[in-house]
Amino acid sequence: MHKFAHMADIHLGAHREQVLQRLEMVAFSEAMDMCIEEKVDFILICGDLFHIGIPDLGVVKEAVRKMKEVQDSGIPIYAIYGSHDYTPTGTTVIDILDTVGIIKKVVRGKITEGKLRLDFFTDPKTGAKLVGISARKIGLESRYYEILDVENLEKEGGFKVFAFHSGLTEFKPDYLSQMETIPISYLPKGFDYYAGGHVHNRSENSLLGYGRVVFPGPLFTGYARDIEQTAKGEKRGFYIVSFQDKVEKVDFIEIKPFDSVYFEYDASLKNSLQAQKELTEKLAGLEVKDKVFVLKVRGELSGGKTSDINFSQIKRTLIERGALYVHLNRFGLTSKEFAAVKVMGEDIGSIESRLFKENVGAVRLTHEALKDERGAIMATELLQNLRQEPKANESKKDYGERMVKQTIETLQLREVFK
Amino acid sequence: MKGEIEIAGQVIGGRVASIMIREKSGRKIELGDLLVVEEDGGYLIMQVYDLGYGSQIPQSIRELAAGLKLEGYGNGLDFLDPQLRNYVMAQVKAVARVTGELVKIPKVLPSFFSSVRYVTREDMKFLTKPANPVYLGKVRSGSKVLDVDVYLNGDDLFAHHVIISSTTGRGKSNLVKVMLWDITGQSRFGALVLDPHDEYFGRSGKGLKDHPEAKRNLSYFSTNPPVGGNTLVVNLGSISPEHFEGIIEFSDAQQHAIRLYHREFRDEWIEKILRGTQIEGIASTTLSVLQRILRATLSVYLEDDRIVCRNNVFSDSSGKATISEIIKALEGGKLVVVDTSKLGDEAELLIGSIIATEILTKHQEAKAEGKLDEKRTVSIVIEEAPRVLACERLAKIGENIYSRIAREGRKFKVGLLAITQLVSIMPRDILTNMNTKIVLGNEMATERHAIIESAAQDLSTDDRNIASLDKGEAIITSIFTKFAVPIYTPLFEDFIKERAEKFDTKGELIFQG
Repeated sequence: MHKFAHMADIHLGAHREQVLQRLEMVAFSEAMDMCIEEKVDFILICGDLFHIGIPDLGVVKEAVRKMKEVQDSGIPIYAIYGSHDYTPTGTTVIDILDTVGIIKKVVRGKITEGKLRLDFFTDPKTGAKLVGISARKIGLESRYYEILDVENLEKEGGFKVFAFHSGLTEFKPDYLSQMETIPISYLPKGFDYYAGGHVHNRSENSLLGYGRVVFPGPLFTGYARDIEQTAKGEKRGFYIVSFQDKVEKVDFIEIKPFDSVYFEYDASLKNSLQAQKELTEKLAGLEVKDKVFVLKVRGELSGGKTSDINFSQIKRTLIERGALYVHLNRFGLTSKEFAAVKVMGEDIGSIESRLFKENVGAVRLTHEALKDERGAIMATELLQNLRQEPKANESKKDYGERMVKQTIETLQLREVFK
Repeated sequence: MKGEIEIAGQVIGGRVASIMIREKSGRKIELGDLLVVEEDGGYLIMQVYDLGYGSQIPQSIRELAAGLKLEGYGNGLDFLDPQLRNYVMAQVKAVARVTGELVKIPKVLPSFFSSVRYVTREDMKFLTKPANPVYLGKVRSGSKVLDVDVYLNGDDLFAHHVIISSTTGRGKSNLVKVMLWDITGQSRFGALVLDPHDEYFGRSGKGLKDHPEAKRNLSYFSTNPPVGGNTLVVNLGSISPEHFEGIIEFSDAQQHAIRLYHREFRDEWIEKILRGTQIEGIASTTLSVLQRILRATLSVYLEDDRIVCRNNVFSDSSGKATISEIIKALEGGKLVVVDTSKLGDEAELLIGSIIATEILTKHQEAKAEGKLDEKRTVSIVIEEAPRVLACERLAKIGENIYSRIAREGRKFKVGLLAITQLVSIMPRDILTNMNTKIVLGNEMATERHAIIESAAQDLSTDDRNIASLDKGEAIITSIFTKFAVPIYTPLFEDFIKERAEKFDTKGELIFQG
């Protein structure tokens, strides 16, 4: 019996806070150690190993050290690009790791006569045949699927795994309804295992004509919502798939790098002073030591400003009481006195995306690429790019040039600035 | 002044609704022809609704002359100046008086003895392309097609409901395909097509999939989708008791039971019933009957403690976002075609009911918030509409979402596009609410009468006209047209050839592993 590990959405380097940076590396190390312990034959990472294409070198160094350890144990690591592994300028850390042999990209193919023909990569030890499609910047990989020569892939014999980093419409949870996904009909039928990534929600699925379609969800937490869900009890981890000629067993391996507390407070019908007082009292009774604390405050204050509630003080108090980290979500908190533009969302990213989508129609635009959803997507990307800070040791000039280059790419103005 | 060659006849008598025209010899006035009388700086458009012979020679003489010819007594026998003595009389009705750009319903007769000519393209120039246009075909005069496109404003058309009626094989689906093709490139309206014959997408042959904007503006859902299509799989948790209203017949006790199950188990209520989970106050016999009804309607059964659906349409694990995907597409101005060909009637109507209920609710909420203007008009295309809109059914099972939309959807920018052979079995108030009727050929007198009685214009003299409509020929009667406009809708395959445009905005694709 052979075994492989399937993980995705590790998002190393996603967090600025040192505590979370340490915990995300702990989670990654634990997962790698489990793979060694379980003697898997190979590891398949289905995208978003790192949070950005060119992450902080300290994060890369730690990750490489661990992956080298895995490699030295005779376990190869295979990977595909995730949506975060992409940079407008081209080369990413994944390419570098592939070049030096730390990981191996398993997506190979070319476009011939309008058809994308993919080549299988065969794992030398198990004979498992791997093929897949990496993610590109928002939604672009769907064009690969449109021209994918599925017949060739379907007629191949042996134990086959299809790796991808896209949400599938049929298995999308309702709360992710705004997420861009592709229909499963784009995927070739008859594979033994479909190793997914991108959806931060663990699920094991099946549909007529397709084998097991598995999304492991994030290994740790890439986004604010992930932390909340983890604190609410959602398990994080990866899968170990046992197989011979077909899948025999699929086991979820939980990784739990921290204990957590989730606390939700409804401030409706209270003014800011009452809310602060009550919230402080309620928090005082909770055990927070050595835990990641997630505090979600929502509702409409009957009086006062939302900023009257001293959240900094609340966070400080929790940290002083021994909390490892305090994650605060107050996007659902509003005030009757100070009605702002109401856009509901789970996190900053989704709120921004919705704001763009709702307002793009209000702007008179002539260029097709700026209209409708395409315009909203481009605006979201541009904002993401412009939000990047200079890297360590990056000169002001280099930073400026990098930002300009990425902006030109995002705005699809390469031809204009040639 | 028009040349003599265009003169078709002369007004020689009659009344407002029945003007008599003598046909000029050599002309062939047809049923449905549009004729024009010019006068007072404007012109009057009239339409032929009946034809008959006229003769100056007494009947007995004509009979004798025919006998002589038939029996071989006078092979060369003919009337003196036959073009003067025997002729065709056309009965016409005035349909529009045009003065400059003003088009009015005619209230006076054309001048006695005035010359009548065939309509020309120029005469119909008042039919301009409105905002948010939906193409319906070209103006038709009898069986002659004028090069004048007929459009209606889609917001008006769709929100105020459309009914398309004819007997089978007269071009209903072709017309709908042409309309849908036209809106596919626009992103202005959402349209949901429940397609029981899987004929719109064009899985084999030409269809809406061939539209250059199909990738962006068309979503196709099927239990067996082609590459790129969406799998039609609806999660059982997406179904609420209200979605069954007027679709499935439940007794009062069963209604009560399903509401209790829904209240108790929310998204899992169907699963709990199927698994036979008992709750207080519900008799086991009621639960058994509900299980049987749900199993039959949803084609589901339990196997190794798993819920399995025979046609893979309903699932307890997949398809959680299917309905919201469809709603999102419709709200984004897309065309959504749902292939229901593998589904039973009830399952198809249920899926339609889920989507229609959600979209109506969203629009009602938007109206309550004063944001209805931000919503696009959504049309729900339903084939064989009497399945949900027949008098007998509504009386027996009660109102359903489709009848609700027919009655009040207009206020919320949600409309029906109902396709049917049988108008006569639909309630009068619903027919009246269908403010645009597109009438194609129909041999059945009862159906013609039903549509004539509920038409937006007076079609009381058009019975023969409707009976004689050939494939592709239609009459639009609508509160949004000044008169009942005769049209010809081209064959879909020809139409798309004409409209095919090269959209190539993507550029070369380079593969990056």
